[in-house]
Amino acid sequence: MDTKIDHFRLLTVAWLALVALTLVGLGLGEWFRDARWLPLLVAAIIWLKGALVARYFIESHLAHPFIARLLRGFIAIAPVALILTAFFGDTLARWATL
Amino acid sequence: MVAAVLHTPPDIPVEEGRRIPGNKGIWVGITCEIIEFVVLFAVYFVARAHFPDAFHEGAQRLSVISGTVITLLMVTSSYFIACSVNAIRSGRHRASVLWLVAGLIVALGYPVAKYLEISWNLAHGIDGSSGIFFTVYYYLTFNHLVHATWGILGILYVLARLLFHGYSAADYTGLEALASYWHATDIIWLIIFPLFYVLA
Repeated sequence: MDTKIDHFRLLTVAWLALVALTLVGLGLGEWFRDARWLPLLVAAIIWLKGALVARYFIESHLAHPFIARLLRGFIAIAPVALILTAFFGDTLARWATL
Repeated sequence: MVAAVLHTPPDIPVEEGRRIPGNKGIWVGITCEIIEFVVLFAVYFVARAHFPDAFHEGAQRLSVISGTVITLLMVTSSYFIACSVNAIRSGRHRASVLWLVAGLIVALGYPVAKYLEISWNLAHGIDGSSGIFFTVYYYLTFNHLVHATWGILGILYVLARLLFHGYSAADYTGLEALASYWHATDIIWLIIFPLFYVLA
């Protein structure tokens, strides 16, 4: 990667997108509080925001494969767990009962 | 006589054009941080699966404004610190210092906002014994605050080095390592925020 290139505009766009996603997510969470599909939307927003920080702030796509995989995996874990808990909560609770 | 020869381990092969942001040491730390929070999130989801109603009702009692303010502080300080790295890469030392100072000031808003949030919680009768949701909320958010505090101390150290020209366009490893840690801590908050404040 050419680290001499000025990425200021890209960083600013990523930051504005993060702010917008935060506010949009809040609004949608309020308006569709009881919607069954709300966890799907929240999971998508979590993933998108995490991916934005990883790609534009950490530059994970240019990083060592271990770092890229670590971040990709971590960003995916919570959204997947959220969807599983929302739609298969009883099964998950049964499996996690001692 | 048998002579013991120590061979230095070969460097981890890095694919063409791939690099380590900061240094290997910080990524060992970030990996440990991620593993720790994966375990904490596992506890959150197991508790949520067992007590869905408590999590539904609990989120409605938290201050959404506090959560939103902390989120905006985290993403904004992350952005400022990324701009500081961007500036030092092109040799703009003064701009790099100013961006990092801005990042520090905004980051310091996090413990202040957290203090106000806890005060608000206590005034509304919300403490660690208010139920399963609040127990999980307190240990996860306090844990994050501890990690953010390490980050703020790191910003102070890196800022001091930067002020004395410890970093340049040729070598900014320490600044980028600090930035990587702060961005990882930012990602963790971006997961915590909707789990506690949005999913009511």
